[in-house]
Amino acid sequence: MGGIALIDERKEAELILSRLAPLFTAQWHCQYRIDVVNNQYGHVFNFFLDIRRAKHRERSIPLHTIHTADLEVLERVITGVRSGTALTMNFVDFGQVRWPLSQRWIR
Amino acid sequence: MDYSQEPHGMFLMIDNKSFYASVESVERGLNPLKSVLIVMSEADNTGSGLVLAASPMAKKLFGISNVSRQYEVPHDENILVVPPRMNLYIQKNLAINKIFREYVADADLFPYSIDESILDMTKSRRLFGKTPEAVARRIQLRIRTELGLYTTVGIGENPVQAKLALDLQAKHDHELIGRLTYENFPEAIWPITNLEKVWSIGHRTAAHLQRLGIHSMGDLAHVNPYELRQEMGMIGAQLFALAWGIDRSKFHQVRPPKEKSWSNSQVLPRDYKVQSEIELVLREIGQQTTSRMRHHRQQAGCISLYVGFAWDGQADDGRSGLHRTRRIDPTDNAQTIIRELVTLFRENWEGQPVRNIGVGLSRLSQSTNLQLNLFQNPQRQIKDDRFDRVIDELRDRFGKTAVIPASSLMKGGTMLRRASLVGGHNGGNSFD
Repeated sequence: MGGIALIDERKEAELILSRLAPLFTAQWHCQYRIDVVNNQYGHVFNFFLDIRRAKHRERSIPLHTIHTADLEVLERVITGVRSGTALTMNFVDFGQVRWPLSQRWIR
Repeated sequence: MDYSQEPHGMFLMIDNKSFYASVESVERGLNPLKSVLIVMSEADNTGSGLVLAASPMAKKLFGISNVSRQYEVPHDENILVVPPRMNLYIQKNLAINKIFREYVADADLFPYSIDESILDMTKSRRLFGKTPEAVARRIQLRIRTELGLYTTVGIGENPVQAKLALDLQAKHDHELIGRLTYENFPEAIWPITNLEKVWSIGHRTAAHLQRLGIHSMGDLAHVNPYELRQEMGMIGAQLFALAWGIDRSKFHQVRPPKEKSWSNSQVLPRDYKVQSEIELVLREIGQQTTSRMRHHRQQAGCISLYVGFAWDGQADDGRSGLHRTRRIDPTDNAQTIIRELVTLFRENWEGQPVRNIGVGLSRLSQSTNLQLNLFQNPQRQIKDDRFDRVIDELRDRFGKTAVIPASSLMKGGTMLRRASLVGGHNGGNSFD
């Protein structure tokens, strides 16, 4: 594993996917989305599953928190998560920056 | 009133605005004052769900208050519902108190609840600003920049003034700061007619005061304190002091209560009607309470049992529950205590549906050695004692559910599901 030695990106991604599995029940007329929040106050990245449905309250369920401010680590975790789910990802509070590895805009 | 003999310090009472909801907002990159977010617990025993906290906007736009029920919250797409993470809130509370420690000595900081702390800044105020308001502002900004949370500050010359300034002024102030002094106290507090809003006055006390013809804080300040004391006892004298903003408590000399006790209680996820199920939960709670007591190397000489009936199960005479206490030979043995509890329950229960069970242990003494009973097999007694201790050790090392009685797997047992809860609510993901 590259990046910071203490964080195993593969395991983090697996953990997120394992918590996602029971929550993503694929109901009709329901929007599911993964929110990835750059929390500047805690220097962590938070993952949430956001569920919207017409005439229902929006729900947001915490999936995991990654204790790093290193975008490279996050990028690898995201790649891992994307390999297991096709849900839309919504990046919050990242500003106008590019991913360090792929050089694409974060959005 | 001559205030010259009263303590003139500087106390800050700091509280977090909608603490749980604010923490959850910040975690999601939302502004705590703008988000429409509610923290809803869906633990078994909250029925359909219970609102633990609502953000200021959720309160304002939808009239949602804390402890609203799930069905009272409108089905609106603009409301964001999140599950509680008690462990996270505890962490944040520690982080906030750590910041406070940079402004006062450890001995001058008194955490009051999970989101309120009292800071005695009498000695350190001059280090951090020219006026009390400036000091308060500084702390507020610090917490806002470091943790993203908004805090409300009440300032007073003594703790009670700080608390009232927080509750009655700061929460409605644009800057979230309120200040009371001996001087402005009458002007600010005496016009209050809704007595229940004032800290330490509950609705029973308020009703009592109404009966005495006291309809505002000003009235309270102008009664004859001796008559009030005669009528209400000690509390009367305290209320009179409250009406004048007087508080002589010295936090450094706070004495712990003489008689400590251990107790646990829980609200059941549904009405329990079957005797065996009720006794099962009673055993679990008895076990839990005894284990807590044993950790402090104490034994109990008195047990108490509280059983709350379901709404429709109230006894014919209108009782909503029963409360019994019994003296026993001092012991820290779970089996003995549970046996006594079950006996007490059987003697008093008349078949009402039960929704609430509580167990208390008091008359504590140090359990340094085992007092053998002359009439029982000594080997057996020693073995029982060792058995309890081994179970305690196992649970300390491997978690609360490492060993459980097989009976907890039966219908009605609540222990397993409650083991992961913090304060009765979801603690959050376990290894974040």
